[in-house]
Amino acid sequence: MTVLTENDTKKLLAGYGIPVTKGSIAATADEALAIALNIGFPVAMKISSPDIPHKSDVGGVVLNVGKEDVRTKYNELVSRITKTVPQARIEGVLVQQMAQPGHEVIIGLKKDAQFGHALMFGLGGIFVEVYKDVSFRIAPIDRNEAVGMISEIKGYPILKGIRGKKAADINAIADVLVSVSEMAGKENIIELDINPLVAFENGVIAVDARAMVE
Amino acid sequence: MLSSIFEPGSIAVVGASNNETKWGGRIFKNVLSGFKGNVYPVNPKEKIVQGVTAYSSVLEIPGDVEMAVIAIPSGLVLDAVDECGRKGVKGLVVVSAGFSETGKEGAALEKKLVAAVRKYGMRMIGPNTLGIVNENIGLNATVIGRLPNTGTISFITQSGTLGLAIADWTIDMGIGLCKVISTGNKADTDDVDLIEYLDNDPSTGVIAMYSEGINRGKEFMEAARCIKKPIIAIKTGRSAKGAKAVFSHTGSMAGSDEIYSAAFRQAGILRVDTIDEIFDAALAFSCQPLPNGNRAAILSNGGGASIVATDECEKQGLDIAELSGKTKEKIKSIIPAFASASNPIDTAGASSYDVYSGVIDTLLSDKNVDAVIAIYVHTVMSDAVPPAEAVMDMTHKSAKPIISCWMGGAGTEKGTEILKKGCMPNYSVPERAVKALAALVKHREFLDTVKIKGTKTGGLEGGK
Repeated sequence: MTVLTENDTKKLLAGYGIPVTKGSIAATADEALAIALNIGFPVAMKISSPDIPHKSDVGGVVLNVGKEDVRTKYNELVSRITKTVPQARIEGVLVQQMAQPGHEVIIGLKKDAQFGHALMFGLGGIFVEVYKDVSFRIAPIDRNEAVGMISEIKGYPILKGIRGKKAADINAIADVLVSVSEMAGKENIIELDINPLVAFENGVIAVDARAMVE
Repeated sequence: MLSSIFEPGSIAVVGASNNETKWGGRIFKNVLSGFKGNVYPVNPKEKIVQGVTAYSSVLEIPGDVEMAVIAIPSGLVLDAVDECGRKGVKGLVVVSAGFSETGKEGAALEKKLVAAVRKYGMRMIGPNTLGIVNENIGLNATVIGRLPNTGTISFITQSGTLGLAIADWTIDMGIGLCKVISTGNKADTDDVDLIEYLDNDPSTGVIAMYSEGINRGKEFMEAARCIKKPIIAIKTGRSAKGAKAVFSHTGSMAGSDEIYSAAFRQAGILRVDTIDEIFDAALAFSCQPLPNGNRAAILSNGGGASIVATDECEKQGLDIAELSGKTKEKIKSIIPAFASASNPIDTAGASSYDVYSGVIDTLLSDKNVDAVIAIYVHTVMSDAVPPAEAVMDMTHKSAKPIISCWMGGAGTEKGTEILKKGCMPNYSVPERAVKALAALVKHREFLDTVKIKGTKTGGLEGGK
């Protein structure tokens, strides 16, 4: 059983055609700046460690970092995590493209002993945590099922766009669900979260992701 | 072959005795009471059991034995099963307990038991089963005192005691059963085998299940998707959540209950919450055809009951049918001038044969109506019989389902008796009637969407 870092999980997702935020791991402050210059500003900076699946819980995420702050933020992040989670193996800092705001949704997988992989869809943030407004299917699913999963949650009207807010690209979300379903068996996934997947009027992008594989 | 277990030509009861308070004695008595083929008691300590010559081993039985019920202490089971194999027995019902349900040692013994069963190519229900019933051949290989009425509902139950209590209760409910199967530990025959067997069983029209867990999930889903007969299941343990440390949101949200719900729905299995609902739905399936859509028309002689029914339709995703102008005109001419001719139809107290038959007939003829819910609310001023007769006459004429609800208890008996005898699914409150109709609608959707096309059509499709 292996825990994949965000960076490795996203590589896996990208391999199945799922759009992910651009980014690489920097091992030094200079490297961080070089990567950031390549991506464009502002950037997100996240601690990269297989021992820290919930990065923001330990202060391991800084958002909207401008050009002049990258090096300082790099050093701050590493020294903070070294103090708060001393046993964690730190690979470096993931320097990443900041996604535009959009609809945040969650897509996940869990391997079940009886039925194989269960696929989950829901709105992100408080909707998943408090309202548990999610739908499930046993993988594999086809496109119709994927659209069904999206439209059956209570918060679906939000995705269709209410009160002047733009709609989410339902087709693009459905594509991700089908890709994740296809991935489930091939990659021996035990658990996977894409949280959030940000959905725009056109297209989607996986902003954060974690996976546990066999 | 499971047919050797459910439709055997001859049966041995290993552990049969003269003591009817013991499993073996009781089961032998029950088998003897209704089963037409040869029945042999096996008991090394008795010469005669309940008036029948006993044998000390199945090997000593002169004739063929197709099925054996084993009700002896677990330590003796392996030898008895080996003897059954050598005798050429084809099916076993192992009532004996003391196997995997008790722990590691029991689990090891169960493994040996399965190996012995398979060595001889036998099939087995159990161990730790409370037995089986097959109404069609009068076979009661359980401890229940009376055989349920014969019907088309077959019931698979993982809990033996609960299942047998329900089987007994169906007699008072007026529900007819076909087969009752207490699965026990499912060491050989499991849910996949059983639903496939029942699908091929021409006397089974509806499969009802009480399940605590399915062993071969993927295979079960595939099998269920190929079965056109309705499968209604109650799966207990809804509250059991994944308890381990949380790595992902998905991991914490995807408890076993959510996964079962998804799997059942994708396989076209109707999952219900309560035992009442299983049999309410099963009754509707066994008596009525499937509707072509979800548009319900409601008829009642009292406004309150029809409003309750309307609210429940909304909850269950049933549409209140929009009646055609022609239908409304015709209904207006049947009901009192001050009554309501739009759906739900409220006859304002009128409940004569002519009013009920006329309105139901008109509703059934409307293309916008897929099913009719006929409600009768009893008062001291009215008679429960004429509207019941009207419902029965109309259901015989129609290919659309009718569900009835005769409310009021005392005074309605003669009416409900007519409905029960006529195999009309009748319920005591509108919500139950609506839920039963919703089950029919849901199964129609399953047939159209998730069931695998082109496979054989089960057997019975409703009672018509």
